[in-house]
Parts: sequence; structure tokens; C-alpha cells
Amino acid sequence: MKARSYLGFLLRRLVQALVVVVLSYTATFLIINVLPGDPITNMLLDPDNGFSQAEIAPIIAYYGLDRPVPEQLWNSFSRFVTGDLGISLRSNLPVAGLVLEALPSTLVLASSALTVALLVAFALAYGSQNLPPRWGQGILRSIPAVSLAVPTFIIGIFLIQLFAFQLGLFRITSPDSAAATFFAALALGLPVSAQIAEVLITNLDHEARQDYFAVARSRGLSRGALFRRHQLKSSSLPVVTMIALAVGELLGGSLITEAIFGRKGIGSLVQSAAAAQDFPVLLAVVALAAVVFVAVNLLADLVYPLLDPRLRRRRGTAGDAA
Amino acid sequence: MAGIALPRLSAPSLPGSVVLSFLVLAVVLAWSLFPGLFTQFDPYVGDTSQKLLPPSLRYWFGTDHLGRDLLARVVHGTWASVTSAALAVAVGLLAGGLIGLLAGFLGGWVDTVMARLVDVLLAIPNFLLAVLIVSAFGFETTNIAIATGVSSVAVFARVMRSEVLKTGSAVFVEASGLLGGSRWHVLLRHVLPNSSRSVLALAVLHFGTSILTIAGLAFLGYGDPPPAADWGLLVASGKDYPSSPWLVFLPAGVIVVTVLAVNRISRWIRHDD
Amino acid sequence: MTTELLRVADLSVRYGRQQVVHQVGFGLAAGKALALIGESGSGKSTIAKAVLGLLPGHARATGRIELNGTELLALPERHFRQLRGRTIGFVPQDPQNALNPVRSIGSQAHEAARLLGPGDSAAERQAILDIFARVGLAEPERIYRAYPHELSGGMLQRVLIGLAVLPRPALIVADEPTSALDVTIQKHILDLLDDLRGSLGLGLLLITHDLAIAAERAEDVVVLKDGAVQEAGTSSAIFRAPRSAYARQLQADVPALNPDRFRITGQTADAGVTAIRFRSVSRTFHADGRAIRAVDDVSFEVAAGSTHALVGESGSGKTTLARLLLGLDSPDAGAIEVDGQPVQGRSREALRALRRDLQLVYQNPFTSLDPTWTVRGIIREPLDRYGIGTRREREERLHEALTAVGLAESLLDRRPGKLSGGQRQRVAIARALVLQPKILVLDEPTSALDVTVQAGIVEVLCDLQRRLGLTYLFVSHDLALVRQFADTVTVLRHGRVVEQGPVEGVFLRPAEAYSRALLSAVPRPIPDTVPAAECSPASV
Repeated sequence: MKARSYLGFLLRRLVQALVVVVLSYTATFLIINVLPGDPITNMLLDPDNGFSQAEIAPIIAYYGLDRPVPEQLWNSFSRFVTGDLGISLRSNLPVAGLVLEALPSTLVLASSALTVALLVAFALAYGSQNLPPRWGQGILRSIPAVSLAVPTFIIGIFLIQLFAFQLGLFRITSPDSAAATFFAALALGLPVSAQIAEVLITNLDHEARQDYFAVARSRGLSRGALFRRHQLKSSSLPVVTMIALAVGELLGGSLITEAIFGRKGIGSLVQSAAAAQDFPVLLAVVALAAVVFVAVNLLADLVYPLLDPRLRRRRGTAGDAA
Repeated sequence: MAGIALPRLSAPSLPGSVVLSFLVLAVVLAWSLFPGLFTQFDPYVGDTSQKLLPPSLRYWFGTDHLGRDLLARVVHGTWASVTSAALAVAVGLLAGGLIGLLAGFLGGWVDTVMARLVDVLLAIPNFLLAVLIVSAFGFETTNIAIATGVSSVAVFARVMRSEVLKTGSAVFVEASGLLGGSRWHVLLRHVLPNSSRSVLALAVLHFGTSILTIAGLAFLGYGDPPPAADWGLLVASGKDYPSSPWLVFLPAGVIVVTVLAVNRISRWIRHDD
Repeated sequence: MTTELLRVADLSVRYGRQQVVHQVGFGLAAGKALALIGESGSGKSTIAKAVLGLLPGHARATGRIELNGTELLALPERHFRQLRGRTIGFVPQDPQNALNPVRSIGSQAHEAARLLGPGDSAAERQAILDIFARVGLAEPERIYRAYPHELSGGMLQRVLIGLAVLPRPALIVADEPTSALDVTIQKHILDLLDDLRGSLGLGLLLITHDLAIAAERAEDVVVLKDGAVQEAGTSSAIFRAPRSAYARQLQADVPALNPDRFRITGQTADAGVTAIRFRSVSRTFHADGRAIRAVDDVSFEVAAGSTHALVGESGSGKTTLARLLLGLDSPDAGAIEVDGQPVQGRSREALRALRRDLQLVYQNPFTSLDPTWTVRGIIREPLDRYGIGTRREREERLHEALTAVGLAESLLDRRPGKLSGGQRQRVAIARALVLQPKILVLDEPTSALDVTVQAGIVEVLCDLQRRLGLTYLFVSHDLALVRQFADTVTVLRHGRVVEQGPVEGVFLRPAEAYSRALLSAVPRPIPDTVPAAECSPASV
């Protein structure tokens, strides 16, 4: 009974996720190809770009640009499913190769940033509950709100100014060194940590106002034990959802961070593609980002009921006889 | 105790930080409407003999590589930054609010369709969506603003929907139906007024977020090209002169202070404290 | 007083500039029970928190609280923590929120068991299972593994009592331990507390708003109002001869002590005219793949101008019946008639027309009034919606309704947030009355209110019925209130009719076991003074 209902939930969520992926692809495709009037053809025919007729014909044939839009979409999507992400207009290389080449650097950056974000967020949250209220707590509690008002690029520039130019802890000329990666991850992760910390602190405060918190306190638990046993778990559960949502944030933020720190990755790939109107690359990256986002959120949704007993199927409330 | 009355504007006990935030916003608004009142320098034509000067009594924010007064550029760039953020909020609020309202109020298949639409908007990372839209429609500040607005539609729709569902199931809404109120009466007079507070707080919050996002996109070069004086663009061109840090950190400071003020006001609307 | 366990003297508590407790003093001997009685805002919970050392950081307490001779107020948190659980146990008000929902009951029970001293986990576990059995939980092993949401409120309260007594404290502070529970379960829990007090020699500080419970369960009573002691003494003395004006009012307003207060002798309902008729009505809900029969073959009739009560505990189907009558829900089988006209199968317009004569007063006035509207707008809303009369006439009707429920004109421009609970419920009644309906459905109209406020509302309702000949369908879980207020009654359990008939008959000679159980669960403070139903109001 319990297993079957979870299976049903799993299947429903899976279908939903697939629908969202298909719709996201369609939306992206339409934005690029239809709304502003087929930018690929426009670009190919622009004499400034210097495509010869011999070069144009196979590209038009590949994308089926002379075919009706639904057919183009279907072609494009079925290629996407098989892993063919198209050909870059700028470099004439397969997009899949470009993405694969850029991916590792961004993965390292994003996962370190997420680690930084979680560490900072939990440290702030711990301090917000356990430091003496007069000093410490007040300052700690205002950190997330303030850092949410600071643009990502400022954090990056500030870190470079201070740690690269003033203190010489890393060199901007070797962006893939461990030190440079650490500071880039810091720049990317701090805004995310502020978001997570805000939610965490709100939840911790909420838990501290609950009846069961006072009742547990009346059982003689110490401040630390109360934090560990009665605040942390239920407050951390929403963080699972937040991590899933942060995936999009980290991907988007990588554009700015990679630009500032001079890293080569998905962000810089998008940057150059946008500058060169290289739409097959943009379509591929956006579609892949949507797939990753949907997959991670699906995972979070599926894990959530396992972490929160209230969301598990009720085992039938046995008897009202007190 | 259970009262959710809107913040009393006449309340004598307005917190100091909120008053300060309103003052900051008033200054920003004045800069954008009457930039000429705040600076006598020309934001576009500089005196190259005065280039890259640090902040002084004459040039409060220093000068840039063309000898232009940075404060003048910040003040004159306010209009573009403020209106584009407002445009972004308007797009998000109207589209998202409508989607959320319909989904929450009509329910059924409308809700399902809207929910998938919102999922799609959420699935494409905001920043990428904005880059995509700007690449397709052209590198312009207006397009940046619209793109930023589109990427916030999902959040507005979600909040509006949950607010409508929450107030829609409130006892006083059922009561109004029993007292002879039609569905439209209930929606317009009971559900909307009670939902508006969180949505208003979100709109204000998004005004700040939009300033940041638009500045970020301008920083990457997706907005109007120089000599425009967008706040984000100012930081972007300033970062090429690392030995003149004021070119980065003073415009950035203006952004931070503005967004802080906006966020504080949003928090005040939400909690009335 | 050598055996005195707890002594509170000259206790004052203030939150910032607002003083909520004024120089309160009382004493409690070991093994005895003392009740602190008061309505909302009386400071009774603040006193309990002060004794437990759980006052919030911005509260300032002065005076003395001595436990076994140790002064508590000056005790640093570090030392106070040693007392919590070990010496002072706490039983909270709402068992549903008193255990952490994401942790199993067993893991939380170990927190209490650990206070017994260093012991291995198996010994702790055994102690927990023993105490669960001791407090009357049938399957201790299952409870140990369960999560809070898997247990009923009554079971949870037993768990919480078990956890409170497990470390063998000398004093138990119970803050309204039964106010969130059904009446029959209430009795079991209070019996359990009595029993544990006797067998373990505990002192019990019982916080309650219910005078009848205090009288029945405590030797001594302290009556509080606005943070100050009104009267203190043995419970029997205070019930037999309350000296302070407030205690006298409280005593007069408790329904269980005054069954005939609102009985109007000689009042006859419009004999023969049936205002409401339910015929074999059934309603089944489907949830989680299970069918729940909320209402099962229920029939009753209400004569015009009389009050019929639907009585039962949670899940008895009484609220479903009220919603069916109003056309907010439809029955699966059976028929409902109002003034001989069927309620179901109507178009939206026809239903709207019916509701002009059929209005509802909700249980909770804190949720039934739109917080963004003024009192004027709220009461006028039905007139405007139905487009009744001219602007002038509507204004007149508004003022009539306002006067009828005893509200001052000065409140017209306020919003609900600025009104007290009693004022809000009066606004809700005025809103229902302004259409001049024939039938009013009262869904637990006073259960969210203090007892003195309740008395005022009931008085208004009785007065309106006398003057306007209204018919009431009164939904309630409070048998004592039903005894005071209703003419006829239907007792419900799990959606089925257990017993029905005139109130006097059902209450004096309950034929069914369940009715008897319900009635015996009503607290009866001083059995020898409960007046017989034949008494006239004057003899109370």
C-alpha cells in the first residue's frame, strides 16, 4: 500500500518532469526561431558575416530552415534526444563537443560554490541561534540581508582586488589554479549562501516558537541539544528544495563569475555565443540547463518524503481511544 | 492578534531604518527625475586632463578614464536603471499576477496548465533566459528589462496563486458567498485585497532584485552600449582600471544602498515591523 | 507549612512597559492540586512560564518563586535547567503541537528518560515502555516507534504526561491540559492526572479557564483577572460562596453550574410549524482511497421558533449537517427541507434566494470577518449584495442590527483587528441578522470565546429569539451549554444519531450508553449542589 502509493507519486512526477522538459525545449526553440523571425537565416544571409552560398545551403538543409516550424522543432528535438546538439554557427564545430569541453570547469566551479554556500549558510544559521543575543547574533543576522543587496559581480571584483592585486594570494592570469577557483567559488556561492541562510534562520526561529520547542526545553535540554535535536532537522528540510533551485542560480551566475575571473566554461561559452548570435549553442545550453534543473528538482521532490515523516503515507491513525 | 491589517501609513512609530530607506528611495527618485539639480557636470563629455582622479571635494565620486565626473554619470544613469527595474517588475507583476490569480481562482485544468507554464519558466535559469531573450531581440536595456520581468513571472505567479488559494479558502470568503456575494464580488472585494499585501511586498523586493539582475546583464554588455551610464555598465567599464577602485566601488555602493533600502521596505510591508 | 512544595510570593511580570502579572502569591503543598483560573489575558499562562523558567527574554519578573525552599527567579539558567524535567514537569495545552513532528516519539522520550541518570539505552527504553503502559497506552512498542502525526490527540496527551512524570518530578505544571480534547477524552486525561498525583505524590499546578474542571480536580483555587488575584481559597468555598465580584460573575456564567439560566418558562415554540426537516440524510467523503461516512441516515425536525442542538465530539458529523442545511454541500441520500421547500437541487439563484432566510454564524470570529473591511462594511455587505431597500433603509437596518447585538455605534468604522473576540462575534451575528432571516445556524458560536463573553453572546441570542421568533440550529460539543440553551437535541456519534428528544429528557434520563458517557464526562464540581432541572432560575 505504502510502496504502491510512492510508486504512483514517482510516476506522476516523472511524467510531469518530462512534460516540462519538452515544453521548455519548445519555448526556447520558439523564442529563438520564430518570434523575431528566424535569426539563423537572417544571420546566414547577412553579407557582413561572409557566408558563401555553398556554406549556407547545407546549414539550411541541416536545420530544415525551409521546412514548416513544427517540423523544424521535431527535427531539432529528436536530434537533441539522441545527443546531437547541432552545429555551432561560429566555429562550425558540433555543439555537443563544445559543451563537453566547457562542462568540467563549470562543474568544478558550481559544486565548490554550492559547498561554500552550504558551509557559510549553516555557520550563519548556527551563530544566529547560539551566539549571545546582544552582540554577535544581531550582526550575523543582518549579513544575509546585506549580501543579498550586493551584485554578484561586485563580490568577484572585490575578491580579485583584495586577494589577487593587494595580497597576491592568487593570480588572475592562471584562472584554473586551486586558489583562483576557490575565490571564484566564493564569489558565486556567497549570494546563494545568503538565500539559504535567510530561509534557514527564518525556519530556526519558527521552530524555536513552536510548542514542542518549549516542551522540550521543559524537559531540561541544553541550548545546544535543543538546536541539534529540535531545530536543525525540520529547518534543514527546505534546504533540499533550495539546493535544487540554486542549480539554476549557479548556472546563471557562472556567466558573470567566469567573465570576471577569466575562466573558460559554460558561462563563457554562452557569453561568446550570445555575442556572435550563435543560436544552436544557446539553444543547447538552455535546454540542457532545463534538463539538469528539472532532474535535480525531481530528485529533491522524490527524496523529500523520505526525509519528512509527515509526508510519508499515513499508516492509518489507530484508534481514538485515549 | 489575528489581524492582518495593512501597514498604517499614519503610524507614528515607523521604524528608523524604514524612514531612512524611504529617504534613500526619495533621493534615487529625485536623481532619476531631475538629474540636473544634483550635478553641474556633463555625464558624457569629460575633461581628459582631469582623468582618473580619486574622489575629492570637486569630484565627489572621482573621474573616469575620459575625465568625466563619475557622480554625474551615476546620477544621469539613475533614470535608465530605475525605469528598467520598474518595467521588469511591471511585466512580472502583471503577467505573473494574472496567471496566479486565474490558476488559484479557477482551479481545475486552468490551474494544471498554468502550473506547467510556471514550471517551464522556472526550469530555464533566469539569467540564461534573459541572455536568450536579449540575444534574440537585440542588445538593449529595454529588452533586458523585459527579459528580467519574464524571468520573474514564475515567482509572481506562484505567490499570487498560493495567496489566492489561502484567502480563497478563508472562512470570511465562504461567508461572503452565503451572504449573497457573487464569485466576482468575492474575488475583487475579499480575495484580492487580502492577497495584495504579500504580492506588493514581493513586487517591491523584485524591484531591488531587478536592479541587481539588470546591472549584471548590463555589466556583461547586454544593455545599451557606452556612453550610456547604466549603473551596471559603469561598474563594467570601471573594472578595466583596477588602480582606480572608486570607479567600481562607488557606483556599486549606490546599487547596494538602493537595493538595501528597497529590501527593507519590502520586509516592512510584509511584516509591518 | 513545612511540606510546602511551591511558594509564589509577590510575583510581578512585565513585558516592556506592560505589566501582565501583579503581585500574585499562592502556595502548593506536596501531593496537592492547585488551580489557577482565569480567562484570556488573566496572566495564568505567564505565571506557569515563570514557574518553569520559560519566560521569553524580554520579560522581567520580580518577587519570589520558591520550590522546596530554593528561590527560582534568581537562579541562573545553567542551574534552572537542572530542575526542569527532574523536579518540575510540564504538561502542555495542545498535544498535537507538543512533540516534534519530524522525530519519532521514542527518540523524544529518551530525552526525558536520560534525566533519570546515567543508564544504558536499553534500560531507558524499558523505562519509557513502562511509563507508556502506566499512562494507559495499549501498545507501548508501537507508540515508541510512531511519529506524532500517527497518534490521536488523547494518545499524544498521554505520551506527554508520561514523559512529564517519567523523571519523577515533585511538581507538575499542567497548562490547560485538556482544552484541545473532546469531552470524554478530557475526563480520562484528568482522571489520569489525579491518579498519578495520588500514586506518585506529585504536586499539581493546574492552569485552566474552566471553573468546573478546577472545582472538580483541585483542592485550592486562585482566581485571576488581568494579572491580579481576585480571590483564593479552597475550591468548595469559592464555589459555594464566591466573595469577589469577578468570581461570582464567573460562577454565574459557567453553563455547567447554571443549567437553567436561560430557560424561559412558559415559552412555546410555534407548535406544528416545522422550520427544518432532515429525512434520512447521508453523506460520505472519500479521502486517501477510504470512504468516511460523515453523516449516516440522520433524521430530525426543528419546530419554528425553537432551538435544536446537534451535539457530538469531533468527527460526529455535526458540522457536516450544518453545511448540508446551508447548501454548502449536498447529501448522497435523503432530503433536507426548509419551511417545506427542498434545499438541494436548486439553481445558484434559487439557493441564493433561500439563504436570505437561512444564515450562518461561524465558530471562530477571528477568521469569519474579512480583516480589510470595516464593521460598517461587514454588516452592510449582505444588504448591498441582495440590493435590499434604499440607501437610507439599509443604513437604518444596519443600526437596528447593531443595537440588537449590543454594539456601540463608535465601533462602526473599526476593522476586526481592533475588536475583542466577543465584539467580533457580535458583529458576525449582526451580519447574519441584518437580512432578517427566519433560521440561524449557529456553528459553535462561542467555543472560541471566554466564558463570561460566551454568557453575553448567549444572552443576546436568547433575547433575539424571543423578540424575532428565530429558529436556531445550534451545533456544539459543550453539553452544559446545550442544556442551558436548546429546547431539543440530537446526540451524534460517528455520523449516526445516538439519541434525540427534548433537552430535559435526554439530559435527565439518557437512554443510550454514549449519551450517559458524554454526560458523565461533564465536570461536576460539587455533586450535591447541582440543581435539578425542575428548579426555576431563581433558586440557583
